[in-house]
Amino acid sequence: MKKIAFVILLSSFFNLGAREIEYQCNPDKLATDCIPKLSEGFNFLKSYKVDGVSKDKVEYSYVFMKGTQYMINLCAGGTNTDGIVVSILDKDRNKVASSKINGQFVTAINYPCNASGIYYIQYTFDEPSSHCGGSALGFKR
Amino acid sequence: MKIFIIGILTAFFVSCSSGKKPDDQEFLNSIDSTQQTAGVDEDVINSILDQIPSPLEISVLLKNSGSKFDIALLNNTENVSKYNSNFKEALNLGVYGTDLGYSNIFEQNQEGIKFISAIKTLADELNIGQFFDVQTIGRLATNSKNLDSLVLITTLNFNHINHYLQSQGRDNLSVLLLTGGWIEAMQITSQVAAKRKSKELFEKIGEQKIVLEQILLLFSFYEDDPNMAGLLKDFEELKSVYDKITINYTYKESSMEIVDGVAVIKDNSTTTIDITDQNVEEIRTIVNAIRSKIIS
Repeated sequence: MKKIAFVILLSSFFNLGAREIEYQCNPDKLATDCIPKLSEGFNFLKSYKVDGVSKDKVEYSYVFMKGTQYMINLCAGGTNTDGIVVSILDKDRNKVASSKINGQFVTAINYPCNASGIYYIQYTFDEPSSHCGGSALGFKR
Repeated sequence: MKIFIIGILTAFFVSCSSGKKPDDQEFLNSIDSTQQTAGVDEDVINSILDQIPSPLEISVLLKNSGSKFDIALLNNTENVSKYNSNFKEALNLGVYGTDLGYSNIFEQNQEGIKFISAIKTLADELNIGQFFDVQTIGRLATNSKNLDSLVLITTLNFNHINHYLQSQGRDNLSVLLLTGGWIEAMQITSQVAAKRKSKELFEKIGEQKIVLEQILLLFSFYEDDPNMAGLLKDFEELKSVYDKITINYTYKESSMEIVDGVAVIKDNSTTTIDITDQNVEEIRTIVNAIRSKIIS
């Protein structure tokens, strides 16, 4: 019986530890922080949580329209983008935009859409990364 | 020792409980004719809901194309007292949301204030009024210099409402809210297009085939709900016209460069849309009929 009690206590301890790690990642706040960082002239559309702890990627989708210019930015808790890369893929998963160009990370993508359709907004992580961030999407015409 | 273990287990289960507040429960109980469909994968529904573009994009397009603000295109705020079911309230919350965005973009603040009031009434009826910051929005609406902040906070409020509904397992209301918003944007665009015969607006209407397909997919999850099934039938009639319209997509690799720390993309892919005057007229007629049912 003492062993069972010990195991429950031990698992509770690790559970608390895991919660502490989750708590350190606050993608809601990072997503909100990203909204005012959209460039001037862009109207805010959506904010995205990038909670990639124990994940290889985080993905959302959105219908982009021809003739509209979109901006997607990135906010991370650490320095700059913290290894987070945002990419836009078309419905056939062809990459049409990325925040990593020739090995260089940038914090925003300016994407003037020329083809209407459903697109995937994909966040991946170049190590080392805490896999935790936020992002905002805006548009202008 | 047994008491000790029971104590730990009790604490564990208590910590894992949903922690619903009385207000939340009241809201869940308040759903009348709009029923949640069992067995639907909520993640799938939420991901489709997230795809639907904001009606604000259409309003900006209309303004930039030289259209004038036309109050006659919008839903009269006096109609708000007619909406007595969650089904109608959610749909018309979306309708008025689009009307508010349209008024904001055209800097028609006095009209906007009327829509804010209607929205607050419907949001309160749906027990989601706490997400609509009517005081801040009202204050911002009194000065046209606050346009950017007004548009931002309105968008944020609607995003919060949608996320809350989805988190409460009431995606059906979120679907209705977005559908109401979309049909109102379609109605405004098709009425303006009928007058102006603009190729750009015709194409914009044609592109909405992509959104309609997503809305039909969403409604297919709620076929057991008589209200949703009725609306689905109307949307299928609209689809029959859209089936005549083709969107051709050609992928070509993009080029990218970094300018001032931003990845600037040149999108070399294209879409072409085959849509005729006759198609637009048919769409306008059906959209108007659906919208009339919604706002009546």
